[in-house]
Amino acid sequence: MFMTGNEVIAWAALAADADFMYGYPITPQNEIMHYWSRLAPHFGRGFLQTEDELSAGFTMLGGVLVGKKCFTATAGPGNILMQEPVAMAEMMRLPGVWVIQQRGGPSTATVIYSQQELRLTTTGGNGEGLRIVYSTSSHQELFEYTLKAFNVAWKYRFPTFVLGDGYQAKMRETVTLFRPEKRGWEMIPAEPILRGPGVPCIERDPVHLRNTFNIEEELYETLMKHVEDYERLTPEVVEWEAKVRADDTLLLVAHGIVGRAAKDAAERLQRDGWPVGYFRPVTVRPFPGEALRKIAAANPELRLLVVESAYGQLLSIVKAELYGYANPLETLLRPGVGVTTEEIEETVRRLEKREG
Amino acid sequence: MAAELWKKKIVIAGEGGQGVQVIGELLAEAAYRSGQQALYIPNFGVEQRGGVSIAFVQIANGEIGFPKFQKADLVAVLSPRSVERTRGYLKPGTIYLYDESAIKAPEIDDRTIGIQGWETVAPEAFARMVGTEEGTGVRPPGGAGLIRRGIPAAQLAKDKLNPRVANVIICGAIAVLLGVLPLEQVKAALEEKFADKFRQRPELREMNYQALEMGRKAVQEAAAP
Repeated sequence: MFMTGNEVIAWAALAADADFMYGYPITPQNEIMHYWSRLAPHFGRGFLQTEDELSAGFTMLGGVLVGKKCFTATAGPGNILMQEPVAMAEMMRLPGVWVIQQRGGPSTATVIYSQQELRLTTTGGNGEGLRIVYSTSSHQELFEYTLKAFNVAWKYRFPTFVLGDGYQAKMRETVTLFRPEKRGWEMIPAEPILRGPGVPCIERDPVHLRNTFNIEEELYETLMKHVEDYERLTPEVVEWEAKVRADDTLLLVAHGIVGRAAKDAAERLQRDGWPVGYFRPVTVRPFPGEALRKIAAANPELRLLVVESAYGQLLSIVKAELYGYANPLETLLRPGVGVTTEEIEETVRRLEKREG
Repeated sequence: MAAELWKKKIVIAGEGGQGVQVIGELLAEAAYRSGQQALYIPNFGVEQRGGVSIAFVQIANGEIGFPKFQKADLVAVLSPRSVERTRGYLKPGTIYLYDESAIKAPEIDDRTIGIQGWETVAPEAFARMVGTEEGTGVRPPGGAGLIRRGIPAAQLAKDKLNPRVANVIICGAIAVLLGVLPLEQVKAALEEKFADKFRQRPELREMNYQALEMGRKAVQEAAAP
């Protein structure tokens, strides 16, 4: 199939057996709502447009509580409002899928594109950012990681995000859609979290979900259990893509669609004999820090070039993950605009020439 | 031995009523149907309402990287204002296809912009006076290294078919200049995109096919010494 990324997501949600989408319009994710609301009635699925993103997020959690597979999509200022319901989902350990199509920021800025919602999407809210965030780089990934996001969310009960951007939303490219069962992917069904079958205390344990605590220690105990759960799932969930050879002297580090440009640049440069590898975190939360540290440790001389359409958001994660490592860091930071393959190649040629 | 990798980067620019996004979609769809990799992205955003509309297309026999790029292999320019907007994409060897017709490019006036609700690609259907009034044709930039090909697409469309298919003439010309897209696949892409219209008015199919052929012929004549 040949379609836009927003269409891909609507089809993926359908394939994932999503029951309901709640949403509020904002460019560049609008067509997800449009396609979904066109598809939904034919497949017995539902759609509700709410008065804003706060409401979209909270109504979605209501749907999740009664056992529906729910999702929403937003961007930019909508993503800011969405953090309040996401924080509640983190506190009450509710699943759900959030699709973010990043636009320029801060505030209204542009309706077009950026990677400036990385920090907000990975760690927004008044807590530790206990959530899973996939940063996709192609329509095929948009489809497959949206499917995966539904499974991961309902398996581990943490809010789960598909982090795209305006370019991925609007561009058309090839994608192979499939029914998950045809590939042997088992989709985890949603069960009612509240008001499930059986009499509480007699036929089943009662459910008591809290987002308010009276004493500090109660909160601490609950949170530490969540942190443990999160740390346990990390090795199971974390994903990355990398190609580094032993004699590479430069490593491109980028995520999402810029990761795709970095891969393209690295492969082209490698064909011309340049010692350049690439590393792309697919899960930006949890971050594949261990994998990156292994690469850094194997060659302390290896210089990293962090590339992003933001001013230092991925960079700050990389720095934190490589605390104590002496690998030199270079940057190509372009907040709110795309980074083309050619620009990355030029930067690499300049950097490597200066040293060489 | 692995086949040699190639990639064609194409920029198409025109006024918001000239159908440049349709050209982009048709080329990408035709490439996809030919078993190639294709990626199309419109420029979108609030600023371009009533302004120059640009389509970016990449066609390759291998993976395609970032959706936008610095330099193009082919630049198609449909209006005088688009010359400046696309200058940055030129490099030695770029094929510069332009509409040399002395016909005024359509414009979307402020009132139309006020009443339409598009926030993404240009509202092409709302354009006034599509390709009927006289004006100046596109003057290609000077400088060595460009392969210039001027065709009178709007004039041909107005005289022989319908002003609205000028973009399909350009599309046929681009397909020929690229050398990697069979016109048959562009026809199939037209079929897909305009299925409903063709069903209601089968004569439109024939007109669009003729427009493609006209584009092919015009560009071959333009290339003749």
